[in-house]
Amino acid sequence: MGNLYKPAYRTGRKYEMLSAYIDNELSDAEVKKLEEELKFSKELREKLAELKKIKELTTSSVKNIEENPFFETRLAAAMRIKKPWYSKLGKLSPVYGIIAVSLILMVVLKYNPQVINNLLDKQKSNITAFYKQNLKPLLYAADLTNEDIFNFAFYHQLPLDNRKQQFLQFGSDSNGNQFFEIKNAGAASSRDNLKKFIHDFNLNKDQERHVDSILSSYADDLQSQVLVNEKSTVAINPNIWNYNKALAADLISYLTRINKNELQRALPRQYEEYYNRRNVAQMVSEIKSSKNNNYIFFTPDSIFSEPYKFDKDQYKQEMKQWADELKDNMKDLNNQFKNFSVRIHFGDKYNKLKSDSSWAKDFKVFVDSNYCKVHIPSVIIPPIQLPNMENFSIRIDSLNNLFKEFSFNFPNPGKNKSFNYKYFYNDSSKGLKFNFKAFGFDSSFAFKNHKLDSLLAKKFKGRGFKLNPDSLAAFYKAFTGDTTEILQQKQLQEQMKQFQQEMENFRKEMEKWQKQFQKDLPKQAKKNPIEI
Amino acid sequence: MKLKKTKKELQQPQILNLDDDFSLIKRFIEGDEYTFNTLVQRHKEKVRNIIYLTLGNHDMVDDIAQEVFLTVYKNLGSFRFESQFTTWLYRITVNKCKDQLRKMKIRSIFTPIKESEEELGYTSSPENSDVREIVQKAIAKLPEKLRVPLLLKDIEGLSYQEIAESVQCEIGTVKSRIFRAREGLRNMLKPYQEELM
Repeated sequence: MGNLYKPAYRTGRKYEMLSAYIDNELSDAEVKKLEEELKFSKELREKLAELKKIKELTTSSVKNIEENPFFETRLAAAMRIKKPWYSKLGKLSPVYGIIAVSLILMVVLKYNPQVINNLLDKQKSNITAFYKQNLKPLLYAADLTNEDIFNFAFYHQLPLDNRKQQFLQFGSDSNGNQFFEIKNAGAASSRDNLKKFIHDFNLNKDQERHVDSILSSYADDLQSQVLVNEKSTVAINPNIWNYNKALAADLISYLTRINKNELQRALPRQYEEYYNRRNVAQMVSEIKSSKNNNYIFFTPDSIFSEPYKFDKDQYKQEMKQWADELKDNMKDLNNQFKNFSVRIHFGDKYNKLKSDSSWAKDFKVFVDSNYCKVHIPSVIIPPIQLPNMENFSIRIDSLNNLFKEFSFNFPNPGKNKSFNYKYFYNDSSKGLKFNFKAFGFDSSFAFKNHKLDSLLAKKFKGRGFKLNPDSLAAFYKAFTGDTTEILQQKQLQEQMKQFQQEMENFRKEMEKWQKQFQKDLPKQAKKNPIEI
Repeated sequence: MKLKKTKKELQQPQILNLDDDFSLIKRFIEGDEYTFNTLVQRHKEKVRNIIYLTLGNHDMVDDIAQEVFLTVYKNLGSFRFESQFTTWLYRITVNKCKDQLRKMKIRSIFTPIKESEEELGYTSSPENSDVREIVQKAIAKLPEKLRVPLLLKDIEGLSYQEIAESVQCEIGTVKSRIFRAREGLRNMLKPYQEELM
C-alpha cells in the first residue's frame, strides 16, 4: 500500500510542489522558482501534464446524485421532532449499571463487611485443600536409603523420586535465613558417600551397624517432614532444618565416642563441646518433640504456608492394611510405588509465575531453567541452639571424597617455575584451579587420589609450602548449597582470565612496537638529514 | 446624490459571499428559523457529494446528509464565527462519514466474506466501463485519509487551509496527502491509460 502512494523522496518533494502548483497553493516565490525549473526540465513538464490530467479526471468524475424529492421535507420533520427528555438516558445505561452495582456492593459491605474476606478465604481454602489432597511422605515417593539420609545430614539433599532425577536441597545463607532449592540431578552430590565415610573413619562392622541404625531411626521421623503428592506438590515442614542439624550432631557425637582422634582432624575445635553425648541427646529430644504443623507448600500455582496435620500412625496403619491386601501380589505393590513420582517441570511456567507477585507472596523465589530456590522467612523456623554445620560437613567432605581429581602438573621442570593444582568438586561445574609459584620440586613428584591432610603432613613438611585447611574450607563454602554464588564465582574467574589475556596481548603489542621503533629510528635519521 | 451613494458604498463595501452565511446564521440565532432552509438549500449539494464520494455508496447519502444538517441545526446556536461556515459544515460531514465507515467496518467483521459486485466491476475489462465510472471506482479505492482531502480540493474546491481545518491536520499534511492521492490514482488508472488520455 505504502509503495503505491509514496514516490521516491527527492522527486516526490518536487512533484508534491507541482501538485500544489496546479491547486494554486504555492506562494509567489515558490511559483516563480518552480516555473524557472519547468522551463529546463522535460521530466517536470511531463509530470505536470500528468498531474493536471489526473485532477481533470477527478473533477469530471462527479455525477449529480439524484436527490430524494422529500429530502428537505424529511429534514424539516426531523428538526421538528423533539425527543423526550428520557431519550438521552438510554445512552447512559452502562453508567447506571455501574452505579447500581456500586450501590449494592456498598450496602452489602456496610451490613456484612467480612463478605469479601470470606469469599477470598473460601477460594484460598479451596486451592489449599486441592493441593493438600493425597499427600504422602517422601519415603513413599523416593524410597529413601541410608545413603540418602546420610547425604541429607552432610550434603543437605533429599531425592524427590525413586530415579533420583530431582533433589531437594536445604541450606541457610550468611544471614542465617533458611532456603530450599528444587534441583535437577546434575547438581546432586556424588554417590557412595556413606561407604566412603565408613571407610575413612575405619568403622568396624558393629560401628557401621550403629551408624545405620542412627540413620534408620531418623528415616522414620523424616518421612513426616517432607510430603509429596501426584499434583507436584512438595510440602516441607520447617523443622526439617533442625532435623538436619540433629542428625549430623547425632552422628558426630557417636564418632566422637568411637574415633575421637580421626574426628579432630575434621571437626573445628570450637564445635567440640556441642557434640558431647548429653548435649546432643537434649537437642534431639527437643527437636523431635517440637510440634510445628505449619508446612510450606510448593505447588505449581503458589507457594504458601498452611497448617497441616500429618497423621503418621494412621498412615502407617493404612500402608500396613494395603500391604496385607496386596500381599499375594507384591508386584502390584512395587508398581504402585514406581508409578508414583514427583516431577517439577521448570522453565516457562515458573518463569511466568515469577512475575506474578501473588505467586509467592511471603517468599523470595529464584527460578532458573533447572532449579528453583525459595527463601523462607526465618520466623517460621523454630530456633534451636545448634552450631552451623556447614564447616564441618565440608571437612567430612574433604576427608572422604573431595579429592577425586587431584593432580600436580609439571610441564617444563626447571623452566616454568610454577605448577597447577586442579580440583573438581563432584561435578565439573564446581571445579577449582590453583597456580602455585616455584618450589623446585622433582619432576617425578606427582599424585593422584591423595588426601589433602596426608599431603600437608608428609610431603610438604619443611618445604615452605603451606595450605591452611581452615581458609581452604571457608573458600569451599562458597561452592556448597547456594547455586547463585557458584555462578558468581565462575563469572568472576572467567572475567579475570579474560582480563589477564588482554593484558598479555597488550604487553606483547607494546614489546613489538618498541622493537619496531628502535629498529626504525636510525634509518629515519639517515633518510632525512637535518639541513642547516 | 448618486455619486454620494457610491462613496458610501465604497466606505462600507459589500461583505463577501461567505458573509451571507454569517448573516443567515445571525438571523437564525435571533429566532428566524426559516433562514436555516436557505442554508440547507445552498450547501446540500456539496454535502451530498462529499458523502457520496467518501462512502462510494449513494444509498446512504440522504440519511447521512440529514444527520449532518440535524447536527448543524442543533449546534448552530453555538457557532462562534471564527471560521467559515463551510469549513465547519464540511468538518461535520467528514466526521459523520468517518463514523459511518467505522460502523461499516465493524459490520463487515460479522458478515461472511464475498466478492461484491462493485469489486468485480472494478476488475472487469476496461472496454465495458465508462471513464467516469472507472475514475470513481479508483477514487473509492483510495484510503480514506487520502480520499477525503482530494475530494474536498478537486470536487468542492476548498483551499488547503480549509481542508486542514475540516480534517483537523496541518496544511503540509494536506498538501502531501493530495499529492499521494493523485499518485495512487495514477497507478490505479495505468491499465486504462488509452481510454482516459
